Amino acid sequence: MMHSDIKSRPAYQALEPDLAGSRHLLVIEGEALPPGRLAALSNTFAPVADSLHTWLTGAPAAEGIAGKLWQLGGVEDVLDTLACATRGYGMGDRLYVLGTEPFLWSVATAAALIGFGPGQLQLEHAGSLRRRVWCTHCHGLTENVTTGIVACGGCGRHLLVRDHFSRRLGAFMGVMVDAEAPGEIPAIEEVFA
Amino acid sequence: MSIAFKPAETFRGDYSYRNSDAAILRFPFPFPEDRYMYSVNIEPHTRSGPSDVYLHAFDVDEHYIAECRDKAITLERDPSRCQALPHMMMAQWDTLELLMESLSADYPELFSLTKEGDDFGSRWTWVNRPLGIEQSFVFGDAETLPCEPFEYITRQAQGDFAICDQRDDNLYMDAGMVTSQADWSLAFDVGMSFMEWHGPVPLAHQAGVFERALKYLLMLRLGQPVRRLNWTMSINPRLDTSPESYPEWGPDRASVTPANAGHKVHLRVELQTLWRLPRSNAILFPIRCYLASLDDLARVPKWGKRLHRVLATLPPQLVEYKGLTRYLPAALEWLARHDDGAELPAGTEAGVSALAPR
Repeated sequence: MMHSDIKSRPAYQALEPDLAGSRHLLVIEGEALPPGRLAALSNTFAPVADSLHTWLTGAPAAEGIAGKLWQLGGVEDVLDTLACATRGYGMGDRLYVLGTEPFLWSVATAAALIGFGPGQLQLEHAGSLRRRVWCTHCHGLTENVTTGIVACGGCGRHLLVRDHFSRRLGAFMGVMVDAEAPGEIPAIEEVFA
Repeated sequence: MSIAFKPAETFRGDYSYRNSDAAILRFPFPFPEDRYMYSVNIEPHTRSGPSDVYLHAFDVDEHYIAECRDKAITLERDPSRCQALPHMMMAQWDTLELLMESLSADYPELFSLTKEGDDFGSRWTWVNRPLGIEQSFVFGDAETLPCEPFEYITRQAQGDFAICDQRDDNLYMDAGMVTSQADWSLAFDVGMSFMEWHGPVPLAHQAGVFERALKYLLMLRLGQPVRRLNWTMSINPRLDTSPESYPEWGPDRASVTPANAGHKVHLRVELQTLWRLPRSNAILFPIRCYLASLDDLARVPKWGKRLHRVLATLPPQLVEYKGLTRYLPAALEWLARHDDGAELPAGTEAGVSALAPR
């Protein structure tokens, strides 16, 4: 489910330090980290360890990570910290984000607001494929969706979860599945584990 | 030239929208051949073409007043249909200027624009006679209008409008007034790049259509607008076929039978034009929607036959994407009765200058 013919579906790549950058910020969603990934990242980022800050959310203290480590509670803390940083980031900064899709795009959107351009940003997916779903009818967001059809948390309609993706919302589009034949709802299966 | 407006007709509820014979004859029929496939069918928007809808920069027709009212109803119910990201204010003024200048030049008996000067800070007076509006304002000062300039002027125009900001060799849909769309959501798509907002379209990406179209549009020049037609189908003459209101109009798709298809099923044609804007360097993308029932179209023998053949041979991915699956068989059964299989000349012209009586 990471590949789609729908072109708005983002593709992700493994993080690598951009040696053209002068300062490096690595933002990691701790809950999404597979075992051993943190140690591997430390090796990967060793060449820029002197100018690296790592923000790690929600995970126990990590030993031996490259650069200066900051521990944050959750994605809201990351967004607040970025939003307050209206000064101090510039062209030499590089931002690397690792986590689930809602996490990646929440951070990417906040970074864009304070001036990070596409060339300064890398995103790597890790953890669950669960989706944030945006209801086209009530515009409500339903979090942590693992099924191809989901009852909207806002209006209760059963939504078909499409691959069409909005980076601004960090969410997939959900469209009422039984609008043309009310009550005809296909079997609900887990597809985004 | 005078237009006989039909101010009381409706695009919802009792669906009293009807085309006059003249409106049918000027319909921008989109199929020059018996088969349809995506192409980069972009051509210069000269003031000429096989239908009268091409004669003016922005076409105004007999549905103008009713359509502006339907737009106001949709906006009242869902204000998210009009959005402009904060950096788009210059493009908003560009759009207002282009529409006011074009409409007043093309239809002087309907619209007038009096300017004390061309630059920001000049006092302008806009008169819209069909809608009974007279507004003096300072060009460039949004405080002197009842709402932001893009919303102000596009409430007084038929069809939808998107504004694409150009940066990083890409186009971003950073503003829109979208109340008569073929099932796409401005609230979801606003801010997207060209490839992203076309993401769900099947087959065309693989054919390279969007790469070529984007390359072409990035080079679009001031004063040299271009156009293309797009099409889909709608049940009932409904402008607001948005995903937002899909729960309201979705069930109509299950209501079509071979007996009622003639007045229920409508061909929905979009005249899409693209305009470089002078100050912002953005691109204005008006999407003007024309609706004609199968009954209407079959009164032009060439069109009834050709539509039957196009729909009968449409690739299954397009049938699905355009949402025709549920009612296409009934529509084809109805259309087959109007197709004798005779060979048709290429081209979209009606081939007749008057219609047989209903």
